[in-house]
Amino acid sequence: MISRTLSFITIFMLFVASSLTAQDELPKNLNAGIIKGTDFIPYPSYSGTPYLNITYLNGEIEFIDGSKLNNLGLRYSSYRDEIIYYNTFLSAQIVIDKISLKGFSFIDEKGVNRIFRRQNYEGYQNGDRYFEVLSDGDVSLLAYRKVDLATCDPSYSKLGLAYQPSYFYYVYAAGKGYSQIKINRNSLLSKFDKKNQKLVKKILRKNRVMITDESSFVLAWNVIKENGIAINL
Amino acid sequence: MKRRLLIILLLFIALISKAQDKECFGLYSDRDLYASGETLLLKVFVPVNELSGIVHIDLINSRGKIITGISKKIINHQADGFIDLPDSLSTGCYLLSSSTKINSRITVKEVYICNRFTGFPESNSLLRSSEKSLLVEKPWNEIQINGLDQVYKTRANANLTIHLPSELLTQIKENLYVSVAEIAPGYNSQTFIKSTKPKTNQNVEKEGIILEGVVKDMKTGEPFKNGIVYLSVPDTFPRFKYYITGSDGSFNFQLENYFGKIPIVIQAFDREEKRLLKIILSRRDSLTSSLTAFANWTITPELRKNAEDNIAAVNFRRIFNRQELTVLPPPIKKTDAYPFYGIPNEVVYPNLFIDLPNFTEISRELLPGVKFRAYNRIPTLQVFSPALHNFFNEQPLILLNGIPTRDLSVIKDLGSKEIGRIEISHSKRYYGNLIFPGVVAIYKLKADDTQLTESVDLIKLKLDAIQPEVILNTPIEHQQLNEMDLRKVLLWKPTLTPEQTIKLDFETSDIRGNFKLVIHGKTNDGSIFYKEQFFEVN
Repeated sequence: MISRTLSFITIFMLFVASSLTAQDELPKNLNAGIIKGTDFIPYPSYSGTPYLNITYLNGEIEFIDGSKLNNLGLRYSSYRDEIIYYNTFLSAQIVIDKISLKGFSFIDEKGVNRIFRRQNYEGYQNGDRYFEVLSDGDVSLLAYRKVDLATCDPSYSKLGLAYQPSYFYYVYAAGKGYSQIKINRNSLLSKFDKKNQKLVKKILRKNRVMITDESSFVLAWNVIKENGIAINL
Repeated sequence: MKRRLLIILLLFIALISKAQDKECFGLYSDRDLYASGETLLLKVFVPVNELSGIVHIDLINSRGKIITGISKKIINHQADGFIDLPDSLSTGCYLLSSSTKINSRITVKEVYICNRFTGFPESNSLLRSSEKSLLVEKPWNEIQINGLDQVYKTRANANLTIHLPSELLTQIKENLYVSVAEIAPGYNSQTFIKSTKPKTNQNVEKEGIILEGVVKDMKTGEPFKNGIVYLSVPDTFPRFKYYITGSDGSFNFQLENYFGKIPIVIQAFDREEKRLLKIILSRRDSLTSSLTAFANWTITPELRKNAEDNIAAVNFRRIFNRQELTVLPPPIKKTDAYPFYGIPNEVVYPNLFIDLPNFTEISRELLPGVKFRAYNRIPTLQVFSPALHNFFNEQPLILLNGIPTRDLSVIKDLGSKEIGRIEISHSKRYYGNLIFPGVVAIYKLKADDTQLTESVDLIKLKLDAIQPEVILNTPIEHQQLNEMDLRKVLLWKPTLTPEQTIKLDFETSDIRGNFKLVIHGKTNDGSIFYKEQFFEVN
């Protein structure tokens, strides 16, 4: 009985003391970023897909001021080069204002984090574009995931139109701009001096990297980057 | 058994003492006695563990009511600013309090203010605070002040050197506060600590002040759930925030990095437009709940004489409009890249066209895809949506000089000569969880908000945001001798970098009397030290 009373007194005293010390409440975030955008108007239905990811995937957006919002359902429209998010409160698909974003990222079906960055493209059809960052650094490897609505064989699409991927790859360095690159070995080698090309070939051979597709190209790029070979832009 | 009891008791005492030993604010003013219409300079040392980024310093009357106040950004656990004492203040004892939104401990400093038109009361007694929990400060006599004479002539130069002992220098945490100002003979104001009711569930003011309030149903007087509250700040690109109220009807807006006085408009409405709402803005807590005790005190003839001289000096300065302070420009706030309602699809400049008498004519003649009609004297406005191939059924977001308005009667009589620009967005716009079926933003040539009338659900106010930094004006070089120099504060260095040797100089003014040089600082353990030295100007 006495020990129970003592325990009660202890708990009571600790409670009183802690209530005296307690003052600071957990801060609430009143500066949560506000997503601004327009209503998403569905694209005409043709063969192929206008989206990079057909379903909404969990992702994060970064605003111009550097603030971030995560746990958003995101879908990238390759056709219009716009990021669509699903607002669960309004049950609406919203095209986020491109001008308000620095970039976005989402985790794809394979569990890979896909990072996109808004950059101004100065070449043909200049303007702000979302580029997927395949490899980041002083010299970045970027992909512009464009999908075109193009004519096609009626055997493929009855309407004679289909969404067809037309991806462009660029080597980019701030101040130097963009240099287009193709996903093959020769194009990669062309970005190096004659002197370094042999070295690149040797490194790729040593690391047993065969460029056959985009992922092997990125792998080759990263291997070369690790070895610090200067890229010719 | 006894041992267990003893251990519990010791544990309890230890925890209690921990709670009591919490650091408190150090609050200083340039002087103790003021005349109404003067400027009061302030310095605050903020506890290191303070989570708030903003400190509030209020001037409170003897009944506990806040008269005026400022908000300052806490930089390196300190802040300094000024309060312009209103001309209309009646003579009496006032309290300066420094507090944050979440800290329940406040520091209060007593000051005496004489109305510059009525002066001291005829009777020789005045009420002064008689609080017992005084702020304890440690005198640090090892600080040497060299070169400060006992007596100076008016308009004389003083050069002095402060030597900080190395033992102290290693302990100093923040900047030093150094001031040279006239003292009121026989009157030393007191600074004490008060505890207010615990502030729980409060939002932390990190980068700016928080504006809070409650929305109530006008009919029932009950807090209104799901009410929409708009806050707009007219600017080049108007700023906009919104809040959807919960069951308690409360709302809050954090105004990040706003400096000086900013015009804001707050509106509240029912999403379903069935109820009329009333906005009640929260005020900062005053000392009403824990009002300080007061006792009678006798005014000395010297103090009365000093106050009279002070009033004469203030009147002179006011007549000749001598500015004591220079307000430094606030940090430039990066402007938004585009308006909150998006990049408009159409921009029309009506004043460049022929004179159109009202908005119906403007919409008919100049605005593509905007239908403004006033059938049966009930105006309606609709925007055409290219996606729908039809007009939106709902009313778009209508902005008048950046302020949302739902009352179309305020725009119906606007003619083309009054409107500088109209921006139209034809798409359905989203702003957070708000939907705008199109946007029509009207910018008048003359940027005023007189068309919007204040009501229970619309409040217009000039909000005192964070006070910008100021510097004390020093006398202009080669000031002519026939120009009176009536400065009471000769030196004001609120953020002096602590060094082994600090050289300072100041010039005495035409004011004769007793002056005090005071140095305040804070050590690593949170305690405040000081050193003071007196001199006379005759």
